[in-house]
Amino acid sequence: MKNFAHINARSLDEAVTALQRYGKRAAIIAGGTDLLGKMKDEILPAYPEALVNIKTIPGLNLIEEKKGTLSIGALTRLEDIAIDARIIDGYPALAEAARRTASTHLREMGTIGGNICQDIRCWYYRNQNNRFACLRKGGGRCYAIDGDNRYHSIFGGSVEQGCYAVHPSDTAPALIALDATIKTSRRSIKAEDFFQVSVAKTTVLDDDEIVTEIQIPKPAGTSAFVKFALRKAIDFPIVNCAAMVTVSKKKVTAARICLNAVYVKPYRATAAEDAMKGKAINEANAEAAGAAAVSGARPMPYNAYMVQIAKTMVKRAILGCA
Amino acid sequence: MPPICPYCSTTFDAVDKLKTHIIAEHGAEPLPRPEGLIDLMVNGERYELQVEPNVTLYTVIHDRLGLTGVKMFCDRGACGSCTVIMNGRPVLSCMTLAIECDSATIETAEGIAAAKHPLIETYVKHHCMQCGYCTPGFVVTAKALLDRNPNPTEEEIREALSGNLCRCGTYPQHPKAVAEAAKLLQGGEGGTR
Repeated sequence: MKNFAHINARSLDEAVTALQRYGKRAAIIAGGTDLLGKMKDEILPAYPEALVNIKTIPGLNLIEEKKGTLSIGALTRLEDIAIDARIIDGYPALAEAARRTASTHLREMGTIGGNICQDIRCWYYRNQNNRFACLRKGGGRCYAIDGDNRYHSIFGGSVEQGCYAVHPSDTAPALIALDATIKTSRRSIKAEDFFQVSVAKTTVLDDDEIVTEIQIPKPAGTSAFVKFALRKAIDFPIVNCAAMVTVSKKKVTAARICLNAVYVKPYRATAAEDAMKGKAINEANAEAAGAAAVSGARPMPYNAYMVQIAKTMVKRAILGCA
Repeated sequence: MPPICPYCSTTFDAVDKLKTHIIAEHGAEPLPRPEGLIDLMVNGERYELQVEPNVTLYTVIHDRLGLTGVKMFCDRGACGSCTVIMNGRPVLSCMTLAIECDSATIETAEGIAAAKHPLIETYVKHHCMQCGYCTPGFVVTAKALLDRNPNPTEEEIREALSGNLCRCGTYPQHPKAVAEAAKLLQGGEGGTR
């Protein structure tokens, strides 16, 4: 790794000030499991001049439940979320998503804030020493369009001929399904508006904005998370899906279903949600909702298999809420 | 020359009194720590080290402290070879910046061996290694598991060790060794091979 300046921020203000001083030349470090990998491979368009360590800010590592809202500090480790009894009980989609993320060690290091702010894993983008000058690096093209796109978007690019990389987070779809709100150093953003389809960034955060807390209202219904990956441990998802379904008199009154790793940002499957409304949770209805979710899919030459998996993930997530 | 307070210019007859005064009156550290000076407690021994920001905890433990039980394989946080226990958590030292570890308590394979932890014995007994390169990472991860969960099920052991890779393929032996170490720790008798 090339050297850089390192700043231990003792408060949120201090961190924001440091970020403002360096502008785009600084990066925030919390768990560091995503950032340090990128720095070692030197794949960032610009190598950061400074890292601002936010682990030293007190009060951002907590899990609290009060007045029907669960607050999770941005620095809370994924492992702590995965084993918290309150989350396993009341917010199972999130607990399961955290538990299925990466490996034990990475969950002990990685934070929930970092998990939703993580960068894409496209193998052209991540190739060492910027071998592929892709759109995200100011190059002229997305190499996945004509290249090996078996792990890329099945719902189109950021724009036509844009970036086709998928968002890799496991916790992001769970937070969207649970209708979470992301609090940052300056505003509150609904989880589904937090991610953005752009070739420059994966979130709507400004350069000097820091995620501080995640707030989840007590779910009205039950929630579930399912993930398909090549191996049980460590792997990023091929497709994952989180669902929250509210049932009254054996009929679904409301549903929030979100797929991830299928599009440039987490993909809210509104077609599947509409398909479930007024129906009972059973095999046939869940199957139909899965089919509805992928009805708009436009797979690339090597990833048509993901359409079938996405369909099944939606079905299993819905059945998991029964 | 008597010590003078840099904040309010009061003079004192002893340095200790000046220090107490600065802490009490000005709420400041009398001697600010230099950037990059870290205090580590590794296997019960205290080390004070000056590190550059881009130095990882792995480099410090392996190259500067000479504790070669911590291994480097992937250098990207994917294999678990460089696992150490930091403040009770199994973490990957290759993906941890040393400068962020000030005042951390760290345990490595050497410390676990020196403490005569039953894991060492059961790992040998069950032949959990062929080339042995990944073994310290496995042992450290298993120790972190047993610290938290003294009686893990086979599934829990498998899950805890799932972030450690072994290219020789010794995987089936690890749950046996860890389960037996757990039994020994609770005062039970070890089983047969």
